[in-house]
Amino acid sequence: MNIRSDIFWLIMALGLASLICRISGFWLMRFVTITPRMKAALNATPLAVMVAIVAPAAASGKPAEILALVVIGLIMRFWPNDLFAAASGMAVVALWRWLQLAG
Amino acid sequence: MHVVLFSALGMRRGLIAAQPLALGVFVYGIAFGLLTCEAHISTGEALLMSAVVYSGSAQLVAINSLMGGIVPTGAALLTLLATILLLNGRYILYGAAMRPWLGSLPAYQAYPTLAVLGDGNWILSMKAAREGENDAGFVFASGVGMFIPWLAGTWIGSTAFSFVSNPKTLGLDFMLIAFSAAMAMSMFKGRSDIKVVLIAAIVSLLVNQFALGGAAILAAGLTSALYVWLTFEEKQAT
Repeated sequence: MNIRSDIFWLIMALGLASLICRISGFWLMRFVTITPRMKAALNATPLAVMVAIVAPAAASGKPAEILALVVIGLIMRFWPNDLFAAASGMAVVALWRWLQLAG
Repeated sequence: MHVVLFSALGMRRGLIAAQPLALGVFVYGIAFGLLTCEAHISTGEALLMSAVVYSGSAQLVAINSLMGGIVPTGAALLTLLATILLLNGRYILYGAAMRPWLGSLPAYQAYPTLAVLGDGNWILSMKAAREGENDAGFVFASGVGMFIPWLAGTWIGSTAFSFVSNPKTLGLDFMLIAFSAAMAMSMFKGRSDIKVVLIAAIVSLLVNQFALGGAAILAAGLTSALYVWLTFEEKQAT
């Protein structure tokens, strides 16, 4: 469990950079009046972030990932349940990879 | 301004909502812990890093820079710090988007909540907010609910009691993507969102070509927000 002092200070520097990112956006918004226009813009960010997380996988051309996303889409279309849809998508990816390993 | 709660009931809801994603975070913690062994980082150092930095992508970059056994200083340290700011810049956006919700909380509640913010619990919280969740305890506890498995996973991985050597075979690397896809579909509210989705997809794919994933998320979020801000039509304030 020993912690070397040079690594300790490295971790502190990286941690500070990380913490600044976590709190600065929130803190800076203190000085911004949250108008309906600003609120609408902020409300658009979760959907945009999710799309940005999914897009590289969708564009990767990997069959397992693409099939999984199609399955998630179909489940959400006909039986909207986040948890079930996400778990099914992961199962598709895991099964595909397992079959590839086995075959 | 409405009163924002920070209650045990809200925390309970957040903790429960975090559990499925917490499993993925736990296994990723193990994978990270295993990597710290390879870089000859002690368990204490690995745990300190997971607690203080708390960002999988940033920690991977840091561990890679330690693989040669030399602690970066000077220009190498500055490059590493810049990389981490680029990777974690998306948290600036996440925090800004939380201002309308957490802004009226006292600092001793708001800042600890932000300190344990992660991709998973931010997405869960923003979706819960849209469905009427108003209790900031939800955000805090869903964050803690992923922070603790991250530490636990790091510890197990770095002591090499590992049972999952490759999270990929279980599809766990796909977990955040799967949840994002499902939740994006349930958040999608029709025609007005189509342009946001298109802009985010195009920008993230473009930025991904020449930068790290975290930067692509930030760019997509900012561009979409800017688009909505520019095209917003002043209707009756709701």
